[in-house]
Amino acid sequence: MLRHTSLFLGYELRFLLRNPVWPLFGIIQPVMYLLFFAPLLGSTTQSGSMPEVLAMFTPGSMMMIALFGSLFGGFGLINETRNGVLERLAVSPAWPPAIILGRAAKDMLVLVVQAILVMGIAMIMGLRITLPAFLLMLGLMALTGLFAATLSYGLALALRDENGMSQLVQFFAMPLTLIAGLFLPVSLGPDWLQTLARFNPLYYGVEAGRALFRDDLGDSTIPVAFGLLAVLSLITITWSMRSLRKMAG
Amino acid sequence: MIIEAHDLRKTFTAKRGRGKTEQVEAVRGIDLAVEKGEIFAALGPNGAGKTTTVRMLATFIAPTSGTARVAGYDVVKEAAKVRENIGYVSQAGGVDENSPGLESLMLAARISGMSKKQARARADELLEAFSLTEIANRPAKTLSGGQKRRFALAIGLVTAPPLVFLDEPTTGLDPQNRANLWDEVRALRDQGTSVLLTTHYLDEADALCDRLIIVDHGQIVAQGTPNELKKEVAGDVVTLRLKGVDEARELLAAQPYIKEVRAEDDLLRAYLDDGEHGLPRLLRALEERSLTLDSISLDRATLDDVFLRHTGRSLRDAA
Repeated sequence: MLRHTSLFLGYELRFLLRNPVWPLFGIIQPVMYLLFFAPLLGSTTQSGSMPEVLAMFTPGSMMMIALFGSLFGGFGLINETRNGVLERLAVSPAWPPAIILGRAAKDMLVLVVQAILVMGIAMIMGLRITLPAFLLMLGLMALTGLFAATLSYGLALALRDENGMSQLVQFFAMPLTLIAGLFLPVSLGPDWLQTLARFNPLYYGVEAGRALFRDDLGDSTIPVAFGLLAVLSLITITWSMRSLRKMAG
Repeated sequence: MIIEAHDLRKTFTAKRGRGKTEQVEAVRGIDLAVEKGEIFAALGPNGAGKTTTVRMLATFIAPTSGTARVAGYDVVKEAAKVRENIGYVSQAGGVDENSPGLESLMLAARISGMSKKQARARADELLEAFSLTEIANRPAKTLSGGQKRRFALAIGLVTAPPLVFLDEPTTGLDPQNRANLWDEVRALRDQGTSVLLTTHYLDEADALCDRLIIVDHGQIVAQGTPNELKKEVAGDVVTLRLKGVDEARELLAAQPYIKEVRAEDDLLRAYLDDGEHGLPRLLRALEERSLTLDSISLDRATLDDVFLRHTGRSLRDAA
């Protein structure tokens, strides 16, 4: 079972290594936000210093790639429902969850590499974080990626329609991003927005990231974020497995 | 017996918009008995339920009712065991477009439990057998239809399974590639591999299979060897095009040497066992009544005549 997952992961990674350029495009957006948007945020933090601004802003820009990069992963899978690849794998001796988990593991690895690059650039710009915070942030990215990727695969297998899928991803991604306080903490906003944010799993991810970057490792949002994303991932994996089984009706 | 199926049925719930659904009976009671080492065909028009039947036997979908054992294992209760013993080449092929064919081949081999070394050796063997060595490392999307088909077949055979399902294996191939694929399927039989293939080509079923079923509307309408089935109709068929079809039909039906007459628009088909001797008598009979012909041909009966006899329509029109 682990063997099958790693076989699928290896297959996906070899594909990635043949086309290594695309994931690099993924980090252009957060880096541009860091370069051109973060400097505008001086007035939103107490001291207004660049390290403090970056500690507030970098986690949000990272969550953005964790969410958007992975949510679009399912598009490739829609094609595979039609070209017979999934049909063939479904009747092969492969352990069925490995078909999904192998891909999700690739998405997580890509995110971790992207996260290292983004944090590296933020550090060059003046961000200062501790090693435990750095490592925990990588874990948080990977887990957010697992959730978003398996959600995307589940959607792809359930809808099997590119148009419907892109509409749905857009429909959910926008409010999720805004209500999480991805760019600016929701604590700056009115009470109703803060209450609304508590129903958004992404909010906990961003807040946990900010706590990590403040070096506030005891903050309650950290275990909440990890626990919540783990439970949600389990649900989306189960759901995508069900959709895979029901692919042919 | 490599495949044994009893009263297999599959009913799909199809969406018809605005929340309405409709029950579609794709397969309506199919019994099958395929011997080890046989090439067995399911012939029928598109939508006859061939693919659904194969998908049930290959454990891709579960039957609504009925039972089937494949390679000695129940397709529902022992699906994992069935999967270890079959190769499955779907209509779509299942070759990943974005990766080289060799990658798909290696992955399939490793999933079945082979080590990297074993997988590589088996892959090389198959690449050689299907003349794919040269193009093994090219992304599949750059290959021709025939090359992709051969990769699909190679992937299906990577575990050297005792049974292979080929769903419409030659659809979309040019005559040359089709003939090559037939040779490859025959080579499988020589190695002792059992094959269940579906097709809507008469000549394919006729040329390739040991036994076949003819399927229409989810049911078997005839089964046997190609020769048995054709004999059931008659040895030869005379196809006539003429004015006064009704009169000619009555006339020919009354002839003792003609077994059966079928009319189709302005076409008449007369079935007879000995065409060479029957044809002159038939022509004389028509002449006596002054019925003039537009065209006439004498052919050996084909599986299409079998299909026509059992369903009342020609396979060419049935799709």
